[in-house]
Amino acid sequence: MHPFTYTRVSDTREALNAGRGGGRYIAGGTTLVDLMRETVEQPETLVDISGLPLREITVAEHGALRIGALVRMAEAAAHPKVRVLYPVISEALELSASAQLRNMATIGGNIMQRTRCTYFRDVTADCNKREPGSGCAALHGFNRSHAILGTSDHCVSTHPSDVAVAFAALEARVHLLGPDGERQVPFADFLLRPGSTPDREQALRRGELITAVEIPALPRPLKSGYLKVRDRQSYEFALTSAAVALHVRGGVIREARIAAGGVGTVPWKLPEVEQQLIGERPSESLWASAAAKAADGARALQHNRFKVELLKRTVERQLRIVGGTK
Amino acid sequence: MSPQPQAAVGAPLSRVDGRLKVTGQAQYAAEFDVEGAVHAVVVDSSIGRGRITGIDTGAAEAQPGVLTVIHHRNAPKLPYRDNSGSNNPPGRRLRVFQDDRVLFHGQPVAVVVATTLEAAQHGASLVKVRYDAEQPSTDLHEAKPDKPTNYARGDAEAGLRSAAVRLDLTYQLARNHHNPMEPHATIARWDGNKLTVWDKTQWVMGTHDELAAVFDLPAGSVRVINPFVGGGFGSGLRCWPHTVVAALAARVTGRPVKLVLSRRQMYLGTGFRPSYEYRVRLGSDRRGRLSAAIHDIDAETSSYETFTEAVMGAGQMTYSMPNVSQAYRTVPLDVNTPIWMRGPGFASASFAIESAMDELADRLGIDPIELRRRNEPSEDESNNLPFSTRRLRECYTVGAREFGWQRRSSRPRSRREGDLLIGMGMATGVYDCGRFPAEARARLDADGTAVVEAATSDMGPGTYTSQTQVAADALGLTMRTVTFRLGDSLYPPTSPHGGSATMASVGSAVVDACNQVRQQAIKLAVEDRESPLHGVDAADVVVRGGRLHVQGNPARGESYRSLLARNDRTHLEARGQYAGAPSPARRSYFAYNATFAEIAVDATLGLVRVRRMLGVYDAGRIISPKLAESQAFGGIVGGIGTALLEHTVTDHRDGRIVNANLADYLVAVNADVPEVRAIYLDGEDNDGNLLGVKGLGEVVQVGVAAAIGNAVFNATGRRVRELPITAEALV
Repeated sequence: MHPFTYTRVSDTREALNAGRGGGRYIAGGTTLVDLMRETVEQPETLVDISGLPLREITVAEHGALRIGALVRMAEAAAHPKVRVLYPVISEALELSASAQLRNMATIGGNIMQRTRCTYFRDVTADCNKREPGSGCAALHGFNRSHAILGTSDHCVSTHPSDVAVAFAALEARVHLLGPDGERQVPFADFLLRPGSTPDREQALRRGELITAVEIPALPRPLKSGYLKVRDRQSYEFALTSAAVALHVRGGVIREARIAAGGVGTVPWKLPEVEQQLIGERPSESLWASAAAKAADGARALQHNRFKVELLKRTVERQLRIVGGTK
Repeated sequence: MSPQPQAAVGAPLSRVDGRLKVTGQAQYAAEFDVEGAVHAVVVDSSIGRGRITGIDTGAAEAQPGVLTVIHHRNAPKLPYRDNSGSNNPPGRRLRVFQDDRVLFHGQPVAVVVATTLEAAQHGASLVKVRYDAEQPSTDLHEAKPDKPTNYARGDAEAGLRSAAVRLDLTYQLARNHHNPMEPHATIARWDGNKLTVWDKTQWVMGTHDELAAVFDLPAGSVRVINPFVGGGFGSGLRCWPHTVVAALAARVTGRPVKLVLSRRQMYLGTGFRPSYEYRVRLGSDRRGRLSAAIHDIDAETSSYETFTEAVMGAGQMTYSMPNVSQAYRTVPLDVNTPIWMRGPGFASASFAIESAMDELADRLGIDPIELRRRNEPSEDESNNLPFSTRRLRECYTVGAREFGWQRRSSRPRSRREGDLLIGMGMATGVYDCGRFPAEARARLDADGTAVVEAATSDMGPGTYTSQTQVAADALGLTMRTVTFRLGDSLYPPTSPHGGSATMASVGSAVVDACNQVRQQAIKLAVEDRESPLHGVDAADVVVRGGRLHVQGNPARGESYRSLLARNDRTHLEARGQYAGAPSPARRSYFAYNATFAEIAVDATLGLVRVRRMLGVYDAGRIISPKLAESQAFGGIVGGIGTALLEHTVTDHRDGRIVNANLADYLVAVNADVPEVRAIYLDGEDNDGNLLGVKGLGEVVQVGVAAAIGNAVFNATGRRVRELPITAEALV
């Protein structure tokens, strides 16, 4: 670990000042400290924001849900409103990491977490994300866990978050506070595909702070859920996952919100699958025909070809679990 | 000698050191507070093969707290005397910082010593090493094997040609790492020319001998201390290079040095279970009677040492057949040297052989247990010796009954629950339990308590507890009044703590020492005119709860305390011995199991989930039932890992291990471990040890992976011949 200075801030203005000066924000620290130990991250200044008043979960009258950036994963998962309104969020959180990590890690930190690509985390390997221009060791290396969607020749790593897949599906908005004031960014625009600049991962301006993630109101009744496919039954990142939310009225699907995880360089929204569902009646054949679109545009690597088929099956299964067949 | 009553042996006792462990008072190697100790962090090579052309240590040395950086250009030349002991395999062992050669990715190339751990870690990240890199060879399937080790009986080729049914099957087994919770660690201190190390090891004597050889020290100059081991599974059976690095750094700096490996480094320098390609050809008649087997076995080893393990044994004696041939080839690769891992050799062989037996059963339409019964030998056909005990038939019977084997459908893919396919499988396990020379010392003190010592180890099976049980009964004392000590090279020497040998070997030495002490006391009493036992035949005296008395007449006797006090004895003491396995062998001595698995496969998503496991064991007498049950659980959990999860992945482009951490190398977690049950058959095996034991810590993992693989076939109809069995094989 490289030497660094540490400051703790007590209000957002202080935080922004420190952030503008180049400080790195730290909350739960469950990713950042890990990466500092491996010297993947070498921040000179850590700005501890865990004392900021961003720990509330609020529900607006029209049903929108706002989760403060510093709400712990465990708190969000257990929150009665989250559980009732958006099971897909609480399920995604509960299937993440371990209980200990969920008690420390925050929602803001979760969506900021960096890839699990083993070459990224090994400082002696080539990685364009860690060291732009050095090459991508994963492209022709061991890439079983890597992405099949949204990749480039510069980077094929997945975004590891589960709850971000739920946020992507639900078309959440990220609330930001910066030196120039507040703004909101649609979730789809917040996390960036690697392109030729895989070191740029979020649409954040210098010193900007995530203050909350907001889930817009959706028509009710809404059924939702999260399915995670992985080798072992706990404490592992997804091979594939699917976040599904469906609004069915009069036996017809009126709204569908679907995204996949473990397969994309960012949480992968599936608009073509959603389109297939709208106006249709739930049925086994509908789930199958819609899910068949899930891997459109996939580019498989040597060790992750199985993900193409597995992704379609994961989406189909979760459509059936959430939507039923009647 | 009168038979001693059995009170502690066979009782389901909790660990005597449990309280120390759960309250954090048990001291592991890195936890000793050695005054003035400084910290060492190793710099690992970032190439897989080649030469070091330059080392820039300036930035590291400029860091506050950094004392020195040691590497091949400034390290003292070390004698590295030959040492064929200490579990060093044949070859030329890695000599730390003695030349510019890099033999594998992650080899130690320098060490940073600093006053704080943080400074040493930071310093290590600042050392810049330049290399002339060469292409390493790390792929078992691409490299040239060594000459084979062969075994043959009968004419296997001819037997196979004339067989009515022939199978030709090749199995692949991934490399596994031990991954004990406690990282390997060493604290080294020199006092003049004497070296003391606190070192995580399963064999203090082996580390003692190796350090004496490396530094060319006379006997008695090295002391190795290690009272607690936080798991080993075999990784502590050798003295690894980092232990030498710590001692070297302590010598160079003149300070005690502590060196703790990181989790990543645990994958680079403390051995592993080698990957295998195991081809087996079976010939049988239509009723399943085997006539021939040909085994072609390739296993990885390093370029500098030839590591072998007992992978040929199971194929020679598990099933009856006239014709067997085996060729076992090591394949030298640019990797570090493997080491035995739980169930060594047998666990790997059993996946191939027991899967092949299941394939044969399916081909012939014979129940897998019935097929095994039809091929049960009446003697060990590899050496024509009778079995000491071999109760596999009982294991099958008990296992089938307790597991509900009759509910298994012989037709694959015939049991479904929603999205899940359910299957059952079983496998046979055998293990060649070790019996090695050992010594122990027992001392009975005037206060009626006893201390028993041996330079063995307790990597987790509960040696402290089980040896205390053995000693307590032999001395006629309660558990609370006996202290067993281990983990110090000053204690009477023993062989390695591995190979399921410890109870038969060290236990026999402990019994011998304690018997001698008890006999000394009895002799003292019966010859003492003032003793109530005066004149009694020594053979009629037993000791119970610290009191000597006439067998059958508890009223006539006295305590150890009164006897020793009256005779002015501060203590009685004896040294016990165990000579090792009988030589020449008169019987074939193995432990056995039948292991059963029920699994559920989500065939759509490619997920295998274990539901139930049962092991039935023929392991001789069980000294400590609670510990034995824990061992079985641990072996089954390890087997689940091998079957479904564990796989050390090497990037063959540069020899790098890409998943050298516990997030990417998957071991089973609680959620993966379902209902597990262990049954030990009552009984004993008195071949060449005083306790009637056979050893059990290894056999419990043998066969587990095959049982699971066979259950996957029963569930899905798909035979996966490559471990671990993961989603891509089943989607």
